[in-house]
Amino acid sequence: MKIIKYLTILFLACAINACTKLEVAPTNIIQDNDVFTSTGGIQIYFARMYSELPIEDFRYSPARGLNMFWIISPFPAVTGEALSRDQRGAMTESVLYWGDAYGLIREVNYFLQTLPKYVSNFDAGDVQSWIGEAHFIRAFTYFSLAKRYGGVPIVTNVLEYPTKELSSLDVPRSSEEKTYDFIASDLDTAIAKLSETNQQGRANKYAAAAFKSRAMLYAGSIAKYNQVSLFDDSHNRLCGIPSDKAVTYFKAAYDAAVMVEGHYSLYKKAWAAGDKEAQYQNYVKMFFDNESPENIFVKQYLYPQSVHGYDAYNVPRQCMGPNGYSSEVSPTLNFVEMFDGLPKNPDGTIQNLDATGKYKLFDNTMDIFSNAEPRLRATVILPGDMFKGQSIEIRRGIYTGSSAGGISPLIPAGATIQYPTTNLVQSANGSQQAYTLPDNTTINPAGASGTFFADETCSQTGFSIRKYLDESLPQSQVKENNEDQTWIEIRYAEVLLNRAEAAFELYTAGQSGADYLGDAFTDINQVRERAGADLLTAPTDLNDIKIIQKERRKELGFENKIWWDLKRWRILDKEQNNALYRVMMPFMVAENKKYFFDVRKDEKNRYYSFDPKWYYEQIPTDEINKSPSLKQNPGY
Amino acid sequence: MLALTTRKINNKKSTNMKKFIYFISIISLGAASCGKLDNYPMPNAALSGRVVDAGSKNTVQTETGGGGTRVKLEEISWSDNPTPFYFYSMQDGTFNNTKLFVSTNKISVEGAFVPLVQYDNSGNITVDKRQTVDLRKGAQNIVFEVEPFLNVEWVSDPVINTDSTITVQARVSRGTANPDFQNDVSDINLYINSVPYVGNNNFDNRYALTVSYNGSDGNALLGQTITLTTTGKLPGKRSWWLRVGARTTYGLKQYNYTDIKKVTLP
Repeated sequence: MKIIKYLTILFLACAINACTKLEVAPTNIIQDNDVFTSTGGIQIYFARMYSELPIEDFRYSPARGLNMFWIISPFPAVTGEALSRDQRGAMTESVLYWGDAYGLIREVNYFLQTLPKYVSNFDAGDVQSWIGEAHFIRAFTYFSLAKRYGGVPIVTNVLEYPTKELSSLDVPRSSEEKTYDFIASDLDTAIAKLSETNQQGRANKYAAAAFKSRAMLYAGSIAKYNQVSLFDDSHNRLCGIPSDKAVTYFKAAYDAAVMVEGHYSLYKKAWAAGDKEAQYQNYVKMFFDNESPENIFVKQYLYPQSVHGYDAYNVPRQCMGPNGYSSEVSPTLNFVEMFDGLPKNPDGTIQNLDATGKYKLFDNTMDIFSNAEPRLRATVILPGDMFKGQSIEIRRGIYTGSSAGGISPLIPAGATIQYPTTNLVQSANGSQQAYTLPDNTTINPAGASGTFFADETCSQTGFSIRKYLDESLPQSQVKENNEDQTWIEIRYAEVLLNRAEAAFELYTAGQSGADYLGDAFTDINQVRERAGADLLTAPTDLNDIKIIQKERRKELGFENKIWWDLKRWRILDKEQNNALYRVMMPFMVAENKKYFFDVRKDEKNRYYSFDPKWYYEQIPTDEINKSPSLKQNPGY
Repeated sequence: MLALTTRKINNKKSTNMKKFIYFISIISLGAASCGKLDNYPMPNAALSGRVVDAGSKNTVQTETGGGGTRVKLEEISWSDNPTPFYFYSMQDGTFNNTKLFVSTNKISVEGAFVPLVQYDNSGNITVDKRQTVDLRKGAQNIVFEVEPFLNVEWVSDPVINTDSTITVQARVSRGTANPDFQNDVSDINLYINSVPYVGNNNFDNRYALTVSYNGSDGNALLGQTITLTTTGKLPGKRSWWLRVGARTTYGLKQYNYTDIKKVTLP
């Protein structure tokens, strides 16, 4: 009996011993102690958060979402800036940004909750700046949600599970107004705490201010232009902001934009007054100068760790790289016509016909653009313009009829039919049959970069995209996942445009307090001067918000911003109401080798219709299943 | 030699047979575990009905799918704040769903008419015309009387022109006297399609006539007889289906329609 007793005691004692030391931290998981004890650790934590930041850059498309290398169905072909063979109409995002956002917000909240325990390891100034930076990241993420969905659940602490009840994770949506107010207050914290300078690719005080001007301008536009309303049972307005709040938000946008003045400026390193060539070169270089005083917040790439394929997808056909692709983005004539320096009809459309209704004839395709605004050449490759040391040849076909007495339009104005086959030589694809001209020289019917009537791997509109293309990249290197130019997410020109728009809205709302109209006038003219565009002569010229909207569409075109602008102005459903975009096709006249341009609606009949319910996107249904208190947006 | 081969085959056969028996027994285990029937009865309630104009009692014409009228069911049998369930109406304004669970629901419809549930600026419900319906076994029929934003009606039958186009006459008027829902008329379109499903979601772009209006320009046409003609030369020896649709700038900007007329081109 005694033996059994001893054995039992011994056994129990062993068991007690065995249980004491089980709480060993797993060695394969990085602990707070590893991260929050050195500046390097903090930097790594930030690197992860920045890599997840929802920046719609070279790796974004509405069809495939963020951080996706395969950028066909490009964003500009959704807005009407361009047409693309892989994007055949209007759309809303098909990859919905929600879960990743709350993952990133959790990381920010965890950082803000944990850092105070480790402050003794760091310089107090650094700690303040990091807290500000984390608030910037959170505001950026919330803004990405707000511009998509309106009001969203606001989570400011790390949600605990399974230590807390499951129901505590089901956070309902806040009103759209409260969501924007939360973004504003996070950005105010960021502006107050962030240092004046930071590593490239990270936000500083002025990046936060610049971003605030963007976010508040959106909020003001929603308050002013939105017509949709959605309330939940607790009287929160999930979609829509009361219109009397518009002035408050425009004022906040204006003040934030003013804060950036003097710390950043427009890029003018290669600019010269009155010199269109210099202004063109300057505008091209702006996107490639890492020391540009215009770059407020950027996302960097570096081969081979972090890469994209912007050039591979977008070079003109004749510059195609070894692995294929090219010409995904063909700017529309609607976009090109916004620019100055083109011969125009009284209604603002390009003048391709003479007074008698016959085609104007040109010696070469660049003649019609001889006086074009330098910014246009830097944004769009015009037919016959130089790129990578070669003339980009865009030609739809050869006209073999007589030019005596002038050539009448090939198809009636506004027609959507195909071109006739009489008197025209065309090419179906890139393997062309050369045509012998009357003077016995031979030439391919279509240009080396298009336009072919069947194969769509070419310019679809008579134009090709120029902005952000790296002219120094050798053709052999024009490959997917091989490019690493920097994405400029916020540049000073946008801040000026935010400021001008906010100021003009304040002016039209009858606000005094500053010379808002005069301010908007100066801002717009700064942007126009650098672009080489025609200047406004007096503040009174600025008599319509459309002037500021147009300037924004020209300056920020192809930078993945325009869709959101057209949405916040609530004009996209009007603009894309069973719409066909226009193209301009160069033809050569066989008889005298001159060129004419045919202006027509998109030959491929890509009709665009924006559904008004897309102003507020659909909240992913699986998120509603997980969190039943989320109320869906109207119409879904 | 022959015998040897046979034996070999027999050996193979017997191992194969064993494998087969094992296989069958595993399968039958699986079958046994799947044998249990679902513990819920099949959805056996049905809901049908129509959305009618409160004035004329005609059904409110709509389109199929996302841009048209839909029925909203909020099941309050077990939750005060349920996730709604929707199904779409047919294009003639009637609806029918025969696979619903027995349940108690608040039912409403959404479309191009004055909303059945309205809120004031502070989010208080000011109008609530939802119907609480006990869906029981068998069919239920409900009618919603609504005020369409616009009444779109034919004035005369479509006429086939000598140039192979079709001309129609229609009239668009306000369907509601409530000024809050009298937004500007933004579009009046003549839709045409080669199948009986026709509307803004489904039409032939080559022949349809779409006209949009800015600001209040379209309001001048209210109450007028409007003549609309298809564009382009219609191919003959077949039938075409037409209807006129119009919309205002209210909310999700959905269309009101006439009913559909069939025209056979010689």
